[in-house]
Amino acid sequence: MAIRIPFGPQHPALKEPINFMCEVSDEKVLSVRPRLGYIHRGIERLAEERTYNQDLYLIERICGICSFAHVTCFSQAVEEVLNIEIPPRAKYIRTILAEMERIQNHFLWLGDVGHEMGFNTLFMYSWRDREVVLRLLETISGKRVNYAMNTIGGVRRDITPTVIESLERGLDRLEERAKYYKEVCAKDPTVLGRTVGVGVLSPIDALDLCAVGPTIRASGISRDVRADDPYAAYNEIPFRVITYDGCDVASRIMVRLDEILESVSIIRYALDNLPNGDVRVRVPRRVPEGEAVSLVEAPRGENLHYVRADGTEKPVRVKVRAPTLANIPPLCKMLVGGSIADIPVVVAGIDPCIACAERVAFVDTATEKRWVWNKEELRGYAKKWYQKK
Amino acid sequence: MVPEEIVTLLQIFLFPGFLFLFFLAFFSEWVDRKLVAKFQNRYGPLYTGPKGILQPVADFFKLLAKEDIIPTATDKTVFSIVPILVLALSMAPLFLIPMIDFSALVWFEGDLIVIMSITTLVIIAMFMGAWASTDRFSTIGGMRVGLQMLGYEIPMTIAMIGPAISSKSLSVSGIVQSQAGGLWYAITQPLGFAIAMICLLAHLQKVPFDVPEAESEIVAGWMVEFSGKKLALLRLAKNFELVLAGSLLVSLYLGGPLGFWLPHPSFYFFLKLIVCIFIFSNLRALFARFRIDQVLMGAWKYLTPLALLQIILVVI
Amino acid sequence: MAMEKELMKNLTKKPITLRYPSEKATPVEGIRAKVAWDIEKCIGCGLCPQVCPSKAIELTGKGSEAEITYYLDRCLFCGECVDICPTKTIKTTSEFELAFTSRKETTIYYKRSTISPDSTEESH
Repeated sequence: MAIRIPFGPQHPALKEPINFMCEVSDEKVLSVRPRLGYIHRGIERLAEERTYNQDLYLIERICGICSFAHVTCFSQAVEEVLNIEIPPRAKYIRTILAEMERIQNHFLWLGDVGHEMGFNTLFMYSWRDREVVLRLLETISGKRVNYAMNTIGGVRRDITPTVIESLERGLDRLEERAKYYKEVCAKDPTVLGRTVGVGVLSPIDALDLCAVGPTIRASGISRDVRADDPYAAYNEIPFRVITYDGCDVASRIMVRLDEILESVSIIRYALDNLPNGDVRVRVPRRVPEGEAVSLVEAPRGENLHYVRADGTEKPVRVKVRAPTLANIPPLCKMLVGGSIADIPVVVAGIDPCIACAERVAFVDTATEKRWVWNKEELRGYAKKWYQKK
Repeated sequence: MVPEEIVTLLQIFLFPGFLFLFFLAFFSEWVDRKLVAKFQNRYGPLYTGPKGILQPVADFFKLLAKEDIIPTATDKTVFSIVPILVLALSMAPLFLIPMIDFSALVWFEGDLIVIMSITTLVIIAMFMGAWASTDRFSTIGGMRVGLQMLGYEIPMTIAMIGPAISSKSLSVSGIVQSQAGGLWYAITQPLGFAIAMICLLAHLQKVPFDVPEAESEIVAGWMVEFSGKKLALLRLAKNFELVLAGSLLVSLYLGGPLGFWLPHPSFYFFLKLIVCIFIFSNLRALFARFRIDQVLMGAWKYLTPLALLQIILVVI
Repeated sequence: MAMEKELMKNLTKKPITLRYPSEKATPVEGIRAKVAWDIEKCIGCGLCPQVCPSKAIELTGKGSEAEITYYLDRCLFCGECVDICPTKTIKTTSEFELAFTSRKETTIYYKRSTISPDSTEESH
């Protein structure tokens, strides 16, 4: 007896609306059909109406948790079109902030997975430790989320020696807590029972379906934009790319906890070797013609921005490909064959950020043609449709 | 002298009857919520009444005032009766447990068997409620309720028979009285005590056994379509079950209202009940939730053989 | 099982959450909160409405007669206007508790005192 259960768009397990139509029979999942589009906000279109500097604040709000990764990606793309080089101190500050955002994201994610498993105590404890990171980010940039620190040409504020002192103290505490959670998640029998062997993604499937981020690193494949294509200051700072071989949710937990410890050591190295100098350069308001693609390792995976400019002060086209969009086909593969109780744990295991992942494309199901329209074509089609009514 | 019938009526309705049990149910929910919050480094209920003690009462009255929605596809008679049935069935065994004296309000030889069958009937009523709701999530929740009962029912029954064999009486009051001379059964039968505690946690559907009501998987499980007054009665029934589980543990294994230096026996009962709720809250904050197949496998592979072992040790 | 020690330790520790409104979190130095104008210093150059990403500032009048309307419910608290003002008229305050109960309170008018010698104050 197969019944169809809708998982989402409104569900206590999901933080953002997405719909999975699951066909189940007796607690086993037979097939999954995803549906996106509940939170499309038209950000790519809005970005064409604002200048490059104002676009930074719009791009920041694509996602609340990985906002710094999006802004860094966008600034790097525009700086590449302008063909300028930002000062080295700005590169190090960008690296420090990106790693702090990674730590904050992984603590939040740990609490999320705990909540999906019913382990509310882990949820409360890891969010309590996340407050340490948020307080440090507030002393550096003035805000807890959406830091408004990046600008085209560098960063807007400098890191003072008092801030560096409080950073060192906070980092000690974060390292201690991350080690404690590693021990808990490796030894607690209920956590192991819910995560080992759940949501298995073999390495061949991971490469075929183009998974990104910790999802693919937990299947043993070492893919990390910081090592493959370094940006900001990553070519000067030594660090390890963490991989585990388990291919299941337990390995993903371990990959992320190890990444917290690795980020702490990256920040310490960057603080010890911070170069002196300016933090920003002046850039012209009008950007000459050109286009650029930039890649950044957001906490959830590989993030891609494309910017095309035509000499005015507003961009012609901005395209964002967020990491969660690449992780959804592997997710559908992971869910089939498991039980209903595993659905929220696996969905939380890829760290979904659906708000990042909403893009529009047109598909004609009869002829299987796919295409993308620009502003004029869309307006022309809308006029014809309303005239016909 | 006040006639005997008036005293009995007052006892049934006030103390230790209905009114006292209502207060005990609200109080035990408050203790549970405050303890879990303390373990998680936060406050818990704080503002309603001194230290938040009126919070369960406020929740109950708020739910009574909300709109009661009955979906069109449900079996309306069964749907409306189930909350009342569950509440009545979970409150009834409390009259058979000695709380203020060494024998309960109502007692007879064999009332332990009655308690065990009523706890099974509660689960069947929950299953009926889930089936009558005719909703995808509640069907899955109802099936899980039944499956979980198949797992823990037998070890729980065996663990409760252990003290009955030692005291040569099938009445809860008799078991309490037979612990008066010697040691409590928690010390002579520790394995049975642990198994009874785990199985009662599964009966209460609390983490790690809250599979039928898994909030992040099937929304509210078997309770998903109940709202308003029906939900208020169901939540109150859950509180009564918490009191029932604690009282059963206290009477069968910890000696009920027995003790040395406090003035009245009911203080002992109270203290031991709070200790039992402390253990339940500790286990609730400590573990994640199991899957239904892991619950069944664990129950049949570990709990049932250990319970049988305990019985063999008692008889020898 | 693994967390039991921490659970027991937390029984004796004070809770980490604050009892708002009697206990509040202190804002850090350099917090990005509401901005305020010292309208007498404004020269009416018109740079702050141009640079604001969410159109939260309106300038009426010209030169030294210019007056500012600040929409608090559109402001992003990004601080771009603070950075770009040539006379340093705009400053960031540390008021972050900005929840109001009526829509009128979210628009702040900065007017100049032309006739009376009293100093200007923000009016709603």
